[in-house]
Amino acid sequence: MQYPLDLDTRADECAAAAEAPVNAEDSNPSRTLWGDAFKRLKKNRLAIFAIIWILFVVVVAATADLWVPQVLGAPNASDTATMVMNSRLAPSLQHPFGTDTLGRDVLSRVIYGARISLTVGIVATGISTIIGLVLGAIAAYYGGLWDTIIMRLADIFLAFPYTLFVIAMIAVIGNGIQNVFIAIGILGWPSIARVFRSAILSVKESDYVDAARSMGASDVRIIARHIFPNSVASIVVYATMNIGGAILTESALSFLGLGVIPPDPSWGTLIQEGQKFLQTEPWLMIMPGLAILTTVLAFTLLGDGLRDALDVKMKDA
Amino acid sequence: MLRYILKRVLQFIPVFLGVTLILFILQNVVPGDPIKLIAGERKLDPVTEMNIRAAHGLIKTDADGNIIYDENGDTIETPMVERYFDYLGGLLQGDLGTSYQKGREVTEMILEAYPYTVQIALVAIVIEAIVGIGAGIISAIKRYSFWDVLVTLVTSALVAMPAFWLGLLLQLFFGIWLKDLSGGALALPISGVPGPRPQFAGWMYYILPAVTLAAISTAYTARIMRSQLIEVMNQDYIRTAKAKGLSKRDIIFKHALKNALIPVVTYVGMDFGAMLAGAILTETVFNWPGIGQQTYTAITRRDWPIVMGSVTVIVVVVMIINLIVDVSYAFLDPRIRLGNKSEK
Repeated sequence: MQYPLDLDTRADECAAAAEAPVNAEDSNPSRTLWGDAFKRLKKNRLAIFAIIWILFVVVVAATADLWVPQVLGAPNASDTATMVMNSRLAPSLQHPFGTDTLGRDVLSRVIYGARISLTVGIVATGISTIIGLVLGAIAAYYGGLWDTIIMRLADIFLAFPYTLFVIAMIAVIGNGIQNVFIAIGILGWPSIARVFRSAILSVKESDYVDAARSMGASDVRIIARHIFPNSVASIVVYATMNIGGAILTESALSFLGLGVIPPDPSWGTLIQEGQKFLQTEPWLMIMPGLAILTTVLAFTLLGDGLRDALDVKMKDA
Repeated sequence: MLRYILKRVLQFIPVFLGVTLILFILQNVVPGDPIKLIAGERKLDPVTEMNIRAAHGLIKTDADGNIIYDENGDTIETPMVERYFDYLGGLLQGDLGTSYQKGREVTEMILEAYPYTVQIALVAIVIEAIVGIGAGIISAIKRYSFWDVLVTLVTSALVAMPAFWLGLLLQLFFGIWLKDLSGGALALPISGVPGPRPQFAGWMYYILPAVTLAAISTAYTARIMRSQLIEVMNQDYIRTAKAKGLSKRDIIFKHALKNALIPVVTYVGMDFGAMLAGAILTETVFNWPGIGQQTYTAITRRDWPIVMGSVTVIVVVVMIINLIVDVSYAFLDPRIRLGNKSEK
């Protein structure tokens, strides 16, 4: 279920934009990797849209406590007195996404759902990235038996049908948001480990690494100070795309009732709740789906833009 | 070639053992006693419970099936390692055990559910190949045209949406709105009918689940097809063909497509393997009685023999399909020689 969100076909358009002649005035100053990358990223309109959308979602979700309960109503509290009257209202000015069966405002629940979905996306990706970096580094740097063991372990993880594995994992550790972090995070490491491993292998034999070693630098220092900065671009790109994948996985888990525990809203839970009223109140299920679609799309486009801006080859992803 | 196949088959073994072992360890740490769950809320009669445990090999029995007691008169739990070897031994004889909940042979249950998964996967893979390759070719030939932009937009959206949500949207549109608008004339049936196979005859039942299952991979197929064809069209031999004055049609269909299709065929093949692993979400949304739904239900009910059995079958099928894809790669592209240190 976790899709490799690699939209390489638009690469040529973006590359064309990226390779546009640089103005004479800004051709000389910042010549750092990130400075250049940022300049190229700014010319990619899709990536800019994506950043704006992600920032918008983040700001709305982060400031939700300040205004959402007053304007739209609290996401969980349900006033029993007005519950029946407000149950499943069609979208209106007061309730732009309508209300659910308990009279709760759906937009308010979608906004609070954004908190959960974004947190899962970022934390789970963080966990996979850290595990993947450590294991990938050990495999590539020490090679030999370590490499064999770690990469076979990665094969085993990848041979498992992903959805089944996540579900089995949740069955073991129970549902709830922390466990969703852990399950998605732990299962996501093999791809990151592969990316980092091949990134290390491609620079491991370079002269500057030899130079550092001959000066007596420790292994950890060589990896952290010399090799990591040279492969950080591909990791950033991969992690950005991975966030979208983690959001999708979380929505699937919550849809199956294995994710976030109600009444807390996550986008997947909202779709699952709305599914029952597909025939009569379809917006209950359409709106949270649109939230997932736009946000995941934004992370994919941003990842795409970063890949082109940082000039990362994604062959191993 | 034969050596390569043999090597790959040998590599299956550790991966297969690893997968089953992880799963086996998982089931021993999952909270909830599967045998107690059989009776649900009620309490199981202790003697019955003991007999069920003995029948599933969870406690030790002698050769005649009589329960062995220790000196305190308690039953002896079979150690995990021993049970894992029991499972492997049974597997070699084609015996996957018996379901805790239903008391049926797991092999029989899988044989019943798997055809549903295979059927829907076959329909889905046909959709994926035709629509994906077609859209990719159009998009590559008419670059930057309206169709190209449309394909790019649709594929971007498809890979960013949850498959189950797409399934629900299709149900809403084809099963509910069209039904209301047309008085039922144009509607498509929205869910599979679990039960004996004859009830499942209508081909219409396959359309929506198969489209849902195929959607995301179709988007990837189209993208890969497009980028491959564009890449191939920039190569020298295509320029030569153009210089010879061949028509664009001949160039694309006789020269370019053959090379551009190779990675696409690989992707579609691998994806077929993934589809045969059962699609839990698609099968759940459409109430499709395939192996994905069966395994999912089994996990939630802690019916481990079914989970172990299904995953065993799934993993073997996926590995075999992947091997076939890799081998066929060499036939499709004679430049590739398998076995010569080709792996990363």
